[in-house]
Amino acid sequence: MGTGLPVTAPPSPPAVASRPMWAARAGLPLVRGMISFGALFAVWYALTAGGWVKPFALASPVAVAGVLADGIRDRTLLGHLGISLARLVVGMAVAGSAGIALGMLVGISRALAIFVEPLAGFFNALSGIVWLPLAITWFGLTWKTVLFVIANGIFFTVFFNTLVGVRSVPRLYEHAILTLGASRWRMLRDVLFPGAFPGIVTGIRLGLGFGWRALIAAELVAVTQGLGFMIFSAANYLRTDIILAGILVIGIVAIAMDSLILVPIERATVLRWGMYQ
Amino acid sequence: MNPPGRDQVPARRGWAAAAMGAAAGAGQAIAPFVFFTAAWALLVAVARWPEDVLPSPFAVGRAFGDVIAKGILPVYAGETVRRILVAAVTGIAIGIAAGFIMGLNDVTAGLLLPPLRFFQSLSGIAWLPLFLIWFGFSDKTIVVAVWYTLVFPVAFNTMLGVRTVPRLYRYAVLTLGGNWRQVVFQVLLPGAIPYIVGGVRLGIAYGWRALIAAEIVVGTGGLGYLIFKAETFHLTARIIAGMIVIGVLWYVTDYFFLRPLEEATIERWGLVYR
Amino acid sequence: MQAKISIEALSHEYFNPTTWQRVRALDGLSLTVAAGEFLCLVGPSGCGKSTLLNLVAGLARPTGGRILLDGRVVARPGRDRGMVFQEFAILPWRTVEGNIGHGLEIAGAPRRVKDETVRRYVALMGLGGFEHKYPHELSGGMRQRVAVARTLAADPEVVLMDEPFASLDAQTRNVMQEELVRIALGERKTIMFVTHSVDEAIILGDRVVVLTHRPGRLKASMPIDIPREARRWDVLGAEAGFVRYRQDIHRLIREEFDARAPAAGAVQA
Repeated sequence: MGTGLPVTAPPSPPAVASRPMWAARAGLPLVRGMISFGALFAVWYALTAGGWVKPFALASPVAVAGVLADGIRDRTLLGHLGISLARLVVGMAVAGSAGIALGMLVGISRALAIFVEPLAGFFNALSGIVWLPLAITWFGLTWKTVLFVIANGIFFTVFFNTLVGVRSVPRLYEHAILTLGASRWRMLRDVLFPGAFPGIVTGIRLGLGFGWRALIAAELVAVTQGLGFMIFSAANYLRTDIILAGILVIGIVAIAMDSLILVPIERATVLRWGMYQ
Repeated sequence: MNPPGRDQVPARRGWAAAAMGAAAGAGQAIAPFVFFTAAWALLVAVARWPEDVLPSPFAVGRAFGDVIAKGILPVYAGETVRRILVAAVTGIAIGIAAGFIMGLNDVTAGLLLPPLRFFQSLSGIAWLPLFLIWFGFSDKTIVVAVWYTLVFPVAFNTMLGVRTVPRLYRYAVLTLGGNWRQVVFQVLLPGAIPYIVGGVRLGIAYGWRALIAAEIVVGTGGLGYLIFKAETFHLTARIIAGMIVIGVLWYVTDYFFLRPLEEATIERWGLVYR
Repeated sequence: MQAKISIEALSHEYFNPTTWQRVRALDGLSLTVAAGEFLCLVGPSGCGKSTLLNLVAGLARPTGGRILLDGRVVARPGRDRGMVFQEFAILPWRTVEGNIGHGLEIAGAPRRVKDETVRRYVALMGLGGFEHKYPHELSGGMRQRVAVARTLAADPEVVLMDEPFASLDAQTRNVMQEELVRIALGERKTIMFVTHSVDEAIILGDRVVVLTHRPGRLKASMPIDIPREARRWDVLGAEAGFVRYRQDIHRLIREEFDARAPAAGAVQA
């Protein structure tokens, strides 16, 4: 296996960063969440409303709520959000499918793996935002640059996790299906792909996380639209209310992607098949 | 179900065979890079793109020599390494402490987890505009952004590790007359170590990327700044040389330090709970 | 009866990466299996029984000799030789129904035929009510029944079984053995059944073949002359023949066990 970014290696303890299992174990998460978020807001409100912190250093919750409401009403915030999401979706579609396809291929072919794996390992160590300057050289300050950077980050994460997934499929399953008379295509469709699915889901989950982070970073410098641009340009005018509103939206999107898309997929597949110990 | 793995790892073999295998492995690992570089050189020679679009490997080599000769590379690489070290040392220490508190006390964990989960899903980069206002275009901004990115994976994994240690072991030590200090150092820490190391590896991986991104945005030295600045002067060869340094630094850190550490701890302690 | 499977001077060596040695598993084994015969293979552990089954299945190529199925050389796995593995090997991402019907699906059988066959085997194996469960929701015994049903539903001419009941608890194992006797009687398949349990070999087999210690050769071949009706655990003990077969086979295996040289079968690489 290559190095670089966390491909969650099967024998190691699960990396918590991505798995919401602790959330399920916490018990009464809603009530506790309300208490702690409430306390956080109270402190934030007290600091800002009490005048201990100046608005240009930290805007009050009221001001942030105002920015959010205005941004939704006049659609500027929605516009930035939409553009950022569209970039992520396109990046995920392109890089995710390429990563799955190549990961499956390299997982099946030993000859290909010997050649591709070391290279992919190095490029994985070098993926994402590091490509920004070169991407700007090639594509200028455009959406292509942003897309290149996030696709690059997503691709290697999905690729390596798919690879790990394929390799974790027991040989025994392949033998069993061979004695049922399966063709190579059948093997791929009925055994290797579903067998690799836990890895693929992990790859998509990590890839979305990396992609979203790389996207915000790239948007800070490379383009004139999107959430990253919105908060970075606000910094020039010391508009901490806009920055905090942007941060809030960025965080909510990250959590929503996980709990609204990935968790249901996982419930319908990997968990139902009993493939997490 | 826990089916057997696809590739059985050789458990034991002679040292001669092992050495031969290692040599073959090294050759196998280097060959693709040689081939890749050759293909790259050939592509540039045939396509004749201008050097600021895609320079040849030789131009990148010259650029590499140039940044070393001028003393830029050692200084900037030193900056980058210093930043990741500062952020890692403090981040790991605080992350482990926080993880222990959450792991031992369910009420604290229940209260802290929801907001922490939210903060964790944001990278330090999203906070960069705010940090810029607070700390200016300075070293502090970069280190804080990296620290922020790094601390959460360490804290969460430590918490999970502490929770994984069966309560029975704690009680066992306490009933033997042990005190809490002994419980922490003789039971919880060793038990949680594989998880902590996993968290550290993940955290440094996240932190490393955040560092490069922050250096690009903030622009006060470091390898991220080196490659970003080179872009404004269309020194594409220098960009690629810088990227290679960044890649190699991470590869070396991960391959020779983080991964062996993770494997060693899992090998030594990981079997306890299987 | 004509020979369904002819095994001719079969030898096989393979490389064991754990010990870094070449292992000679079979050495010039010759054996014929008649059409419709239930053949049980026993022998000391590591005598190459499983290797033999893998070779007949076509999952590995023999390094010497050949295997004929209906006079044609076996070269690769095929639908005509189904196999049941010791470790279940049913797919976790398919339901009980999905697993049992998998062979027919691969063969491209019409949906109606497939559904009907699946229903029949669900009933036969006592899996009613569990059609839509996933393997991880089943007990070990039920999983193995699914594995047996999957192989039989694909309707192969030859069924290869590699210690399929070894990891089941004693009661479940006995029930499965009796069921298999019943099914084998009904379907008249050619069956090669590997086991390390002598009792199991006697209750199931038309003939029991004992292999030598590794490298495996034919040690003895013993027809079991017990009527099918008497092959139930509650009456089998009373059969005088049963006790004698058992003593004979145990003695043959014991001889092999005692004759074992310290490093027999391990050829230096």
